[in-house]
Amino acid sequence: MKTKLLMAFIAVALPLLVSSCGSGEKTAGPAVQDAAKTTGVLVEDAWVRATAGAKDTSMTAAFMSLTNPGSADVKLTSATSPVAGIVQLHEMAMKDGKMVMQEKAGGITVPAGSHAHLAPSGDHVMLMGLKQALRPGDEVPLTLKFSDGSSHDLTVPVKAFTEEEEHYHPTPTPTSTP
Amino acid sequence: MTGRPSRRQFFGYAGAAAAGAAVTGGAVASGVVGLSQDTPSTAAREISPYGVHQPAVAAASPKHAELVALNLLGGVDKAALGRLMRLWTTDIVALTSGRPAPGDTAPELALGNVSLTVTAGFGPRVFALPRLTAKRPRGLDELPVMSHDRLQTAWNGGDLMLLVGADDPVSVVHAVRRLVADAAPFARPVWRQTGFWNGTGSDGTPVTGRNLFGQVDGSGNPAPGTPEFEQTVWSDEPGWFAGGTTLVVRRIKLNLDTWDELTRSEQERAVGRKLSTGAPLTGTAEHDELDLEKRDADGRLVIAENAHARLSHHSTNDGRRIFRKGLNYVHDTGAARESGLIFLSYQADIAGQFLPLLARLDAADALNEWTTTIGSAVFAIPPGFQPNSWLGQELLG
Repeated sequence: MKTKLLMAFIAVALPLLVSSCGSGEKTAGPAVQDAAKTTGVLVEDAWVRATAGAKDTSMTAAFMSLTNPGSADVKLTSATSPVAGIVQLHEMAMKDGKMVMQEKAGGITVPAGSHAHLAPSGDHVMLMGLKQALRPGDEVPLTLKFSDGSSHDLTVPVKAFTEEEEHYHPTPTPTSTP
Repeated sequence: MTGRPSRRQFFGYAGAAAAGAAVTGGAVASGVVGLSQDTPSTAAREISPYGVHQPAVAAASPKHAELVALNLLGGVDKAALGRLMRLWTTDIVALTSGRPAPGDTAPELALGNVSLTVTAGFGPRVFALPRLTAKRPRGLDELPVMSHDRLQTAWNGGDLMLLVGADDPVSVVHAVRRLVADAAPFARPVWRQTGFWNGTGSDGTPVTGRNLFGQVDGSGNPAPGTPEFEQTVWSDEPGWFAGGTTLVVRRIKLNLDTWDELTRSEQERAVGRKLSTGAPLTGTAEHDELDLEKRDADGRLVIAENAHARLSHHSTNDGRRIFRKGLNYVHDTGAARESGLIFLSYQADIAGQFLPLLARLDAADALNEWTTTIGSAVFAIPPGFQPNSWLGQELLG
């Protein structure tokens, strides 16, 4: 059943993906419509939490849905953005009875034929050392790199969202796993 | 109908939806995806957000709908409007596929298979913005005030318009809430109108539907898919607006109290159609052609000189046609209820098609005695978008 589904997907989606490769940088579709140059991971529903009005305006997070139509697991291995000094892939984990944020060793796995959802209180792309305040309505460039060698250049909208404050104020300051 | 398949028709949001997705897979070519027969009786379905045209225009009237008009905030320019359209595109794709909008604060309210559609439009003032003044679609101007109009500022105009429809009012309200929230950095609502329509007969088949006067309303429409429909609705202007259309929104108060004082034959004479079937008074079935020459035994015209069906018929309007849809509304204030019709008219060119008809009806329509227009707005409805493009990209990209 799953295999059939994947075949159907590839048969229909491939021409769409190929046809959208020529679109220019400036007028590229929204992040959701970002088209991979291969049948690699599909990125949808990306957004970044605004920092305007937040207590700590030096950091925020990007969220999205990743879909892997392939037959092998793919990992999101790194991300970069010109608006942030440091970009890391984070997870939320229980430590000493407290939920803390930490860098996710080895990246975020997108299982074959399935999804990874990056969402508040879960895995996310952490943007630190922001060079500017991010206001709702802004757009942020974000590049994702995957273990299959593919990369996605996204334009991600900034949205207002009330986040649990401590998610972005872990103690101590987030560093790589000990 | 076009409907390139959405990726999500093959990959459910959480993977667990794969079974449902497989069922829809075979039907995507129609653009309107009906779920399988083994789904229980409710007609659950998804309407693809993609297409050459915005898909709700030619689709059946939604059971529940809300229109929101918004005015642009100061400083919003062409580039900012482009950012908003990219935001809305993302939201529309997610919500119509049954997924929460990105950053959704109430994600559990996003449901699939509720026939959710979103139509967006630009008011005339958008085309007063720098770098957009040369892009105004032909005939897109606020309508002049008619002699029977009693317009209230609260229901007039708007720089942007969203028309959200679904089988279910919770889904409508949730989609509107997300779209308006995401528009907050750019635009603020100036009016909202909520309406409802029943386009399904008691045997489950599609019907034209009735307004609150009890009239079958919309019988004279060109049928979607016909050349008449194409010519009536879609703009053939070269450039960004090709495949777009325009929408006139008129909020029409119906005086049900005085209407109810009429006899049925007086009610039928005012329209020129039978209340039972919507058939012209000269025919037997709803879609029978009007016989505008036919006279009764006393030599009087069967469809009266001032009957609504005669005055609005394209043969008496130099062939000008419109595609009109309606939404019934009620507006309650304490124990007092106002009833009416949110009149929606789609046409390629408002000044060329709609305005002459409106002026003619304003001058003579028998129905004017029981109807009062209290709100009026016009919008350019840009063409649709595809998985690799966004709403209004040809204008704003």
